Amino acid sequence: MHYSFANRRRLFLFLMATPAVLYVAAVGLWPLAQGIGYSFYKYNLLRPARTQFVGLQNYIDIFSDATTRKAILNTFQFTFFSVGLQLVLGFALALLLWRDSRFNRAVLAFLLIPSTITPLVVGLIFKAMLGADYGIIGYFLSDAGIGPRSGLLTDAGTALWMLILIDCWEWTPLMTLILLAGLKSLPGDVLEAGQVDGATAWQRFRLLILPLMLPSVFLALTLRTMDAFRVFDSVFVTTGGGPDDATNTLMLLGVKEGLQFFNVGFASAVGNVTLLFIALIATMLLLVVRRADVRINGK
Amino acid sequence: MARVSTRRVVFERVTILLITILFLLPVFWLISTAYKPSNQIFSAPPRLTFEPTFDQFRQAFAIFDVVSLVRSSLVISIGTTVLSLLLGVPAGYALARSKSRFAPGFAYFFLAIRMIPAIAALIPFYLLMRDIGLLGTWWAVIVFNTMLNCAFVTWMMFSYFKALPPDMEEAALTDGCTQMGAFLKVAVPTVRSGMIACALFCMMFSWNDFLHPMFLTTLDAKPISVALLTAYGTKDITWGTLGALAHFSTIPIVLMALFMNRYFVQGATNGVQ
Amino acid sequence: MANASSSMVAAKPTTIYTLAAAVVALMATASYANSKPLDGVTLTIASMNDGFSNVLVKLAPAFKAETGADLKVEIMDYGTLLTKTTADFIGDTKGYDLVTMDIVWAGAYAENKYSVDLTDRVTRDAAELELDDIYPVVLKSLGQYDGKYVAFPLAAYANVLAYRKDLLQAAGLKPPATMEDLVEYAKKLNDPAKKQYGFVANGQKGPAVAQDWMQYNNQLGGSIVTKDGKPALNSEANIKSLAVYKQLFTEAAPPGAIEYDWGGREESFRQGMAAFMQTWSVGAAAYSDPKVSNIVGKVGIAVAPVSKGMTPQYGVGGWGLAINADVDKSKQDAAWTFIKWVSSKKIHKEFNMLGAGGFMRKSEMTDPDLLAKYDFLPVIAETYEHGNGEFRPRIPEYPEIQDLLGTAVNSVLAGATTPKEALDKAQDAAKKLF
Repeated sequence: MHYSFANRRRLFLFLMATPAVLYVAAVGLWPLAQGIGYSFYKYNLLRPARTQFVGLQNYIDIFSDATTRKAILNTFQFTFFSVGLQLVLGFALALLLWRDSRFNRAVLAFLLIPSTITPLVVGLIFKAMLGADYGIIGYFLSDAGIGPRSGLLTDAGTALWMLILIDCWEWTPLMTLILLAGLKSLPGDVLEAGQVDGATAWQRFRLLILPLMLPSVFLALTLRTMDAFRVFDSVFVTTGGGPDDATNTLMLLGVKEGLQFFNVGFASAVGNVTLLFIALIATMLLLVVRRADVRINGK
Repeated sequence: MARVSTRRVVFERVTILLITILFLLPVFWLISTAYKPSNQIFSAPPRLTFEPTFDQFRQAFAIFDVVSLVRSSLVISIGTTVLSLLLGVPAGYALARSKSRFAPGFAYFFLAIRMIPAIAALIPFYLLMRDIGLLGTWWAVIVFNTMLNCAFVTWMMFSYFKALPPDMEEAALTDGCTQMGAFLKVAVPTVRSGMIACALFCMMFSWNDFLHPMFLTTLDAKPISVALLTAYGTKDITWGTLGALAHFSTIPIVLMALFMNRYFVQGATNGVQ
Repeated sequence: MANASSSMVAAKPTTIYTLAAAVVALMATASYANSKPLDGVTLTIASMNDGFSNVLVKLAPAFKAETGADLKVEIMDYGTLLTKTTADFIGDTKGYDLVTMDIVWAGAYAENKYSVDLTDRVTRDAAELELDDIYPVVLKSLGQYDGKYVAFPLAAYANVLAYRKDLLQAAGLKPPATMEDLVEYAKKLNDPAKKQYGFVANGQKGPAVAQDWMQYNNQLGGSIVTKDGKPALNSEANIKSLAVYKQLFTEAAPPGAIEYDWGGREESFRQGMAAFMQTWSVGAAAYSDPKVSNIVGKVGIAVAPVSKGMTPQYGVGGWGLAINADVDKSKQDAAWTFIKWVSSKKIHKEFNMLGAGGFMRKSEMTDPDLLAKYDFLPVIAETYEHGNGEFRPRIPEYPEIQDLLGTAVNSVLAGATTPKEALDKAQDAAKKLF
């Protein structure tokens, strides 16, 4: 038998992709499919006898219940602002660190430390520091009458914003790292050209750097959005979703229902809704970046 | 880049330094709790001085098998990283080089896998692990985290390979190089920085992961991220123990990040696109 | 090995046989002398991270020396413990042989038959267990559900009132005799300008605030369920008691108390910030430990007051030890051996001497060694005499009810809603569980 080169190439590529596809299908899709199945049932592992098919009721509950609706809004607010802030801060830091020097490399290494600390511990650190009664920051703020007297994490008006700041503290360094890697890969000649033109710094950034950085920006945004939307650890240990429902998030709700009450039907529905939202956001990001790419780079 | 004035460099450096210190202050605080006597960790008003002690470390070692915790963390994160790269790099390459118009869609499907929220899949996965007898072992966590991470690696490597013109491999293939040879000897070395970036992400993800190992491991396979919450007791905050334990959860990953970030940032010129 | 066998080949056969016989005989006697009933058995305990967990680790070698069994203690925080053990039960994964059971889980354990029914064993070994020496309320609430033993008591806690002797004395006050006194004194002793507060309790959303409020609710005459076990979250008495709880928070508690869990609450008391705190007796020993406390010698422990005119009834809580129903018979027997061992008079005294803080035997209350270390034991004895382990309903739906209350009470403290609104909403949700 004789195969053409193109066919052999195709077969080779097919075989290269097969292990990953099979693996993901077996380990990921199968439980996910089960989860989708469960979501149509009222199904609690602690009371299996009471299981019953309820159709879309779990999904209807998610969108009609005030607590879950608030959790959805909080999750969107959290994701939008924390990822947005991280992008701006991360880009600024990356530009500052762009120049290749031993100093900058050393600084980057230290700057990265917050991103390497377990999110759970990050939450605990900030809870301890912001506490109004003996926290090293919270005490003085409360004493001076800045912010709510009971501490920034305990007030419905400030708690979510504090969680956003905590997330920024932890993940801005990672954002910087990704964007810096992108900056360092930019072709030098393009930038030199900009310098000769005598363009202002802002013009150079907007017209030369940003267009070339779109792939890195997309990578950074997607990665952070996926994880920010699933925020759990740091909220769990700081506010537990409180005060009231002010910092409840979708994952917090899902983990509580799924891993504490073993309410598998409802938890699966929450999980699926979360996945759907993330996929939608990621698709929108992809489209926006692609459109920007077409507009700016004319590709 | 063109010449810049010394004054500007100094200004930039001072700014960077200040920002970095700001970012590190909470870390200093955490680390310092490990050296404080228990009654000096908190006080009203908060105090900045303390009499250093190693009691907290003694306490941490008395309660926890720190060596075993760190070993589990290392096995889980290295195992996940290696497996994810072994599966994800070839798949990313295949999708990038495939001429099928479905390839980008397929790459995107992989990205979607990384978005799966744990709760949707964790309980069915738990029962699956029980049925094949891996529950409570390192493998249960590695298998689950590899699913999430190899999907992400596939997608990232897809974009790295895509940014690389196929000319060199095609030349190698016409020169009589085998398909595998062209992949391993020509394509892979050029995306080294991309692979290091992927490894760094996988490593950080698994090392810091709390929810999956909490649910899937028992005593012998428990990583340090899970033990940390235990150190933070319910009835009695043992902050000092937590601070001491945090040394062992933070230092290895910081070292790893330092080591890899050097390659990552230096080698990145080869093409993040 | 290789060397040994090659030299054996060289030796005369008869010598070898004699030698071998001697060795075998020697090994047989040695192993006979050392053989213990549970040699080679490993028992795994899922343990709450509490006063007793480190003590269990410390006692493990003694248990091995006596019985031959290895004891592995996996220490977890409350949430992880609940998740992991429940997953172990429903997945039939046999991960744990023994589980420390919060008394409020008893209903779920009984309904789902998670644990071995110990009733027959307890009856059979009643004399050995010296059951008469254990307080009835402890046996009932830490072990039994519907008359059956789903667990056996390990560490009982009494809800007590910790107060600052020095502050009360300075203000010319006596320890409060009723809840009304407590509220009044707490407000009187509150002096925010000096960072001195009247009272401290848990305010954090979740189990922390739910459990502390249920305690106050009980002492103010409220109840979470009706006599026949149906939810009554929004009863008149409950709404009233929640209003009192809210009042204490706004008028007498440290500003940050709304985010305290047990750890934060204890810390602020040990810091000397609050005059009164109701607490589980397990933390009491720490107040006189200069390593962690700023108020050594200034703390009094008293029985928790109840509302004027109410029959005294004091909160009892703590942990039982349950045997996983999925493990095989021999493991169950070994686990029962451990339960008998750890709850025996001698070992349980040692358990408390090491700082477990879970007193449950009458003999412990008068033991001179223990009394020398823990002078508040008479208060605990008094609490157990009039103990009530049911103020947190030990029904299968407890975890969900606690969660609903955890949100409701926290919203009230945060000022987001009124006691009536919050409890009405919680009641509606609770009804759906039944």
